[in-house]
Amino acid sequence: MEKNKKQLLQSLLNDPSFRNWADKSNKNDVLFWNNWILNHPEDIDTVDTAKSILLGISFNKTELEPHEVANALDKVLHKIEGKKNQKNAPTLLHAKKTYWQFGIAATVLVLVGLLFFLNQNTEVIHRTGFGEIIELKLQDGTLVTLNGNSQISYDKNDSRDITLKGEAYFKVKPIPSTNAKFWVNTQDLRVEVYGTQFHVNTRDEKTNVLLDEGSIHLLLENGGSRKMAPGEFVSFAKGQDLLTHEKINTELQYSSWKESTYIFNNIELNEVMKYVEQTYGIPFEFIDKELTLKTISGGIPNHDLKICLSAIEKSTGTRIVLKDKKLLIIKEN
Amino acid sequence: MDITSEKAVWQFFVGGDLNAFSTLFKHFYPQLHNYGLRISNNQEITEDCLQDFFIYLYEHRESLDHVRQVKSYLFVSYRRALIKKLQKRQLLQSLEETKDIFIFSKEEIMLGEELSEQRSKILETTLNELSPREREVIYLKYYSNLKTPEIKEVMNISYQSVLNTLQKAFSKLRSRLETAAISEVLKK
Repeated sequence: MEKNKKQLLQSLLNDPSFRNWADKSNKNDVLFWNNWILNHPEDIDTVDTAKSILLGISFNKTELEPHEVANALDKVLHKIEGKKNQKNAPTLLHAKKTYWQFGIAATVLVLVGLLFFLNQNTEVIHRTGFGEIIELKLQDGTLVTLNGNSQISYDKNDSRDITLKGEAYFKVKPIPSTNAKFWVNTQDLRVEVYGTQFHVNTRDEKTNVLLDEGSIHLLLENGGSRKMAPGEFVSFAKGQDLLTHEKINTELQYSSWKESTYIFNNIELNEVMKYVEQTYGIPFEFIDKELTLKTISGGIPNHDLKICLSAIEKSTGTRIVLKDKKLLIIKEN
Repeated sequence: MDITSEKAVWQFFVGGDLNAFSTLFKHFYPQLHNYGLRISNNQEITEDCLQDFFIYLYEHRESLDHVRQVKSYLFVSYRRALIKKLQKRQLLQSLEETKDIFIFSKEEIMLGEELSEQRSKILETTLNELSPREREVIYLKYYSNLKTPEIKEVMNISYQSVLNTLQKAFSKLRSRLETAAISEVLKK
C-alpha cells in the first residue's frame, strides 16, 4: 500500500464523522462522505477497507458459565488464604530455641487449621462486588436479591438459616407441611420468618428490616423481641439499644435498588452519597459543605457507578469527581 | 464494567480489598480464559496459569499502583506468563512458529443481516489463512474489543503494523467475497 493511501486510511479511521458515515448514524455525515467518494473514485478501495475495519466482525462469544468462574474464584481465594497462613508458620519453625511452647503452638496451629477446613467445607458463601446485584435461588426455593458489596452465608445442609452482611431482599418460600422457619442473622438481630417478603440492610452499623408481605419476628441482640406487620420498618443497632419501629408509607426508598434503581423521595444528598458509598465502597467528601442539604427526588440508576454519578450530578446541579480513591462533591461551575 | 468503575475497583484492589479483587476476577477471568485457550489449546494449563496469575496479582498488588490501562495490562501480563509456562513445558517454541493458534470456527462468526451462510464460510477460511499474529490482531480487536493502541501494547508491535494487518485482512476478504459473488451470478 502506498504511503498516501496509508495516511488516508489512518485519518479516515480516526475521523468521527467518517465513523458516522460507516455506521449510518448521522445524516449530514452520510451526505458529506457520499459526496466525497463521488469526487475521489481512486480512493474507493481505501474507503471500503476503512469501513470494514470500523464495522468489524461480530463473534458469537463462548463465555464460561458463572458457576465455573465462581469455582475458580473460590480456589484462588483459598490459595490466597492458605499462603497467608503459611507466612505465619515459618516464624514458628524458626523459633528453634523454644522448648515445650513449640509443641503447644503447633497443636493449636493444627487445630485452627482443621477448624478452618471443616468450616470451609460446609459453608456456602455468596458475595457481590461493588455495584453488582445478583439474584439467588436457595435450595428450599427462597429467592434472595443481594445488593452490591454484600454477602450471605449458610451451612450447606441448612439454607434456611443464613447470615447476612450488607443488603438483601428475601422472598421466603413457605413450607406448610412442616411449618419450617427461615432465619436471617445479622450482627444486631435475628429475623424469624415463615413465608414472606422482606428487606434487610446491615450497613451503617445497624440493621434495618422492612417487611413487604406476611409476618416476621425479630430477636434482638440485647434479648428483646419485636413482631412486625407488612409495611413496617424496624431499625436496630446492638450496643445502642436504639430501636425505630414505624409504619412506612412507601417501601421505595429502602428496597428499590433491587430493580437496579434507587428511588429517592426528597432525600438529602448526604444520605444519597451514603448509599453510593455502601454499594460501591468508595468514600465521599463534600468540598462545598452547603451541598449536603440539597435534596433528590426520583430514580437514580445504580448498576453502573458512572451512570449513577452523572444522574446525581444532573439532578442536584453538582459535580462529582473521583480523586485519590474518594468521590469529591463540588459546586458546578 | 465501564472504565471509571474499572479504575475505582483497581484502586481498591491495590489497597488490599478482597471484594474489589473478586470483582476484577469475575469480570476479567472469562475474557482471559478464552484468550489463554486460543494460545495454548490446553484447558488445564490455561486455567492453572490464569489462577496463579490472579494470585500473583493479589500478592504484588502494592506494586501495581502505577497501572492505568487495566485491561491491556492484564492481557499483556497474562500472555507473557502463559507463554513462559508453555515454553518451560516445551509445548511452545514461539508464537510465530505455531500454526494452530487463534483459529476461528464457522459457528463463532455471527450471521448478521449482511452475512449469508456462504459469506461466513468465506470469512472463516480467509481469517484462518492469515498468519497466527494477524489472527491474534483480529481476535484482540473484535473478540476482546481492545482498542488499536491497546493491541499495540499487548502484542508489542507498532501501531502501523496493527493497521496493516487489519487492512490486509479486509482487502483479502473483500476480493474473496467479490469473486464468490461473481461466480454466483455466472452460475445463474
